[in-house]
Amino acid sequence: MTRYILRRLLGLIPLIVGITILSFAVIHLAPGRPTSIEQSMNPRVSPEIQARLIKLYDLDKPLPVQYFHWLKRLIKLDLGRSFVDNRPVAEKILERLPITLVINILALKIILAIGIPLGIASALRPNGLFDKISTFFVFLCFAIPTFWLALLLMNLFSIQLGWLPISGIKSIDFEYFTPVQKILDIGRHLILPIFVSTIGGLAGISRYMRSNMLDTLQQPYIYTARAKGLPEYIVLYKHALRNAILPIVTIVGLSIPGLLGGSVIFESIFSIPGIGRLFFEAVMTRDYPLIMAEIVLTAVLTMLGNLIADISYAYVDPRIRYRKN
Amino acid sequence: MPELLRIKNLRVAFTVGKNTVQAVDWLNLTLEEGVTTVLAGESGSGKSVTCLAVTKLLPENALVGPESQIIFENKNLLALSPHELTDIRGKKIAYVFQEPSSFLNPVFSIGDQISETVMLHQQVTRKKAEEETLQLLSLVRIKEARRVMHSYPHQLSGGMNQRVFLAMSLACKPRLLIADEPTTALDVTTESAILALLMELKKTLGFTLLFITHNLSIAVRIADRICIMHRGAIVEDNTVDAIFASPHHTHTQELIAAYKTIGSL
Amino acid sequence: MNKSLLTGILIISVIGLAALCAPVLTPHDPSNIDSNHILMGPSPEHPLGTDGLGRDLLSRLLYGARISLSVGLIAVGISTLLGITLGALAGYYGGILDTCIMRFVDIMLCFPTFFLILGVVAVLDQSLFNIMFIIGLTSWMGTARLMRGEILSLKEREFVQAAVAIGASPSRIIIRHLIPNATGPVLVNATLGIASAILIESSLSFLGLGVQPPTPSWGNILIESKSTMAVAWWITLFPGLAILTTIMAFNFLAEGLKKS
Repeated sequence: MTRYILRRLLGLIPLIVGITILSFAVIHLAPGRPTSIEQSMNPRVSPEIQARLIKLYDLDKPLPVQYFHWLKRLIKLDLGRSFVDNRPVAEKILERLPITLVINILALKIILAIGIPLGIASALRPNGLFDKISTFFVFLCFAIPTFWLALLLMNLFSIQLGWLPISGIKSIDFEYFTPVQKILDIGRHLILPIFVSTIGGLAGISRYMRSNMLDTLQQPYIYTARAKGLPEYIVLYKHALRNAILPIVTIVGLSIPGLLGGSVIFESIFSIPGIGRLFFEAVMTRDYPLIMAEIVLTAVLTMLGNLIADISYAYVDPRIRYRKN
Repeated sequence: MPELLRIKNLRVAFTVGKNTVQAVDWLNLTLEEGVTTVLAGESGSGKSVTCLAVTKLLPENALVGPESQIIFENKNLLALSPHELTDIRGKKIAYVFQEPSSFLNPVFSIGDQISETVMLHQQVTRKKAEEETLQLLSLVRIKEARRVMHSYPHQLSGGMNQRVFLAMSLACKPRLLIADEPTTALDVTTESAILALLMELKKTLGFTLLFITHNLSIAVRIADRICIMHRGAIVEDNTVDAIFASPHHTHTQELIAAYKTIGSL
Repeated sequence: MNKSLLTGILIISVIGLAALCAPVLTPHDPSNIDSNHILMGPSPEHPLGTDGLGRDLLSRLLYGARISLSVGLIAVGISTLLGITLGALAGYYGGILDTCIMRFVDIMLCFPTFFLILGVVAVLDQSLFNIMFIIGLTSWMGTARLMRGEILSLKEREFVQAAVAIGASPSRIIIRHLIPNATGPVLVNATLGIASAILIESSLSFLGLGVQPPTPSWGNILIESKSTMAVAWWITLFPGLAILTTIMAFNFLAEGLKKS
């Protein structure tokens, strides 16, 4: 088991290198190098300052050199400074990261809490009424554009009904609230974003759980469980479920890229100050240091998510955890 | 010999898509206590379906005819509620299946799976159940019982798993053990050992054995009585010697001919 | 011909035909600004209403259908071509080529699609072709893995051994024998890919980074709905429904293909 973990960790190194190369390449290999970067900088900046910035960012050196300098700074966790306001990129990201994490982790919990039982219930009576309804519902969730759903919900709940705030994470008079009121206020602001974030993942998990459960129920050892005289609920919820739910552990890790990507959209719509919206703003303003930093960051997060997923799976599945004697 | 189990007018059909396949067609069989019965026949003759039908273990798409009855201890098993069935399965009628590694749950340890049966039917504490498990494992001639108890099915060989399965099935001293081709997936040496073990346990624990196989040589070795199945019905039912001496049905004759040919190789 | 397949084909045909015949079906020019008819609800003259510049919504949606469908088809065309090629090469030749390609796939898969696409959008000019290109370049990985898997399992089959034995060249084997047999799952993937591409394009357009106004795209029509939601529900509802229905249709199609 430890050997497995070590092997996976070693395998990460080429992956990280690849991520950095690709991130760098994507930004720098676009047509018109490197002048378009200097053109995208504020044209009102004087030529002398521009020249200094070019020297500072090595924009006049060949690409591989630029890459290595960038990589060196990256390893030291120096992510450069934003083109827009000259603040350290790392600072800008760190102040927005928590909110995105909170929303996505909550969304993940809800996805699991609802999606898994939904999938199991569908599997227990395949092609029954419940199954047919939930299948249709799942199809709907897969097909609905998240930004449209966000708009509709916003329209319904914030504008028409006025129950929920339209945007942001705090009300204007937040400072005057008691601690409890503050928590409730943030909660009210987060309801719609979390809901929108949950919809896609919910469909995926419940579908996956359903097919896993159906497969497991066909397995020979389920016959054995019944033949032993076990009551049906133990056969289903102990013997079958324990096997069917094993791969869910990996699903959690694998949904990270989807959740991160989705946050770009709903954070922009609901004006949530998270890293998704930060990235969107960076793209709009062509703030390249920030763009590169976020691309690398999200890729690394995804990679870590996969790693944790694999290791968790190796841990919970005895067939991988314990080798043959 | 007193009657143990009586299968009356068993009819089982399966719906596959739009078609219906009759797997068992008017099967009648009476098992006497202490008499080792072998149900022999080629693949697809309905042997496995029959033995699964006894305690209603068939899948959902199986249709059991309304005139079918399985009489055990003065009750029709086919008419029992699921709750009543859990009292019979594993406790009075137990099973052994063909590929033990597939029929054991891969995510629970051997000890857990055996102790589960013990705790279920004997209402004892976990500690007591684990002691029972160790005893059962040595009953089936497993050395290093403690190590095996903490192992998982994928870590053990096929033969070892089959012993474990036997320990699990016999945990509650059932009256009837139904063995559905338990040695087919094992190599010849292991098969021999398992058969020997089975015979020995039969003497020690005193259960009645219903053994299913397509291999006549096994039948010859262990049977008191053979029933030949063909296309869902029993076509011949007699002692081993009587069948070999004067087989009635053409199918039996074919089987014996094949057996003799292979035997003389 | 199962139900899903039928439903999918039916809906897609309707949408496709509508898109093709857009000039015929609408009496209005989609870019015709008419300040006398701003923000009017559905009426016989404007079946789906008008937007803030008086433009007929129905015509804009129909022309938007052209954009969305073409983006979907071309982007998926690119990604499928790329995926099949890389996957086939990796699967057939194995060894270092296989490792390199699969590593590349792993690296690409580490980037959340949207982040990668937006990153590239930031450096390229905003043209329709670029969008198709970008989406295509970032969605080939699934197909590649699929293709590789199919090739690996088909490689050992007799008809391939036979072809090798009679001296067929690798490219011939790959193109004539292996790829045609792997089309099933790849087709399903491609169908789902079209749905995904349409979704990405409309999301990009909605964020202002895709198809630029005044060219109508279902996504960028919805930009306006943000500010007119309270008074003009039709601007929010109809483009979204269009996207939803199209994607569902492709999903049905994929389900139907899977079952057959």
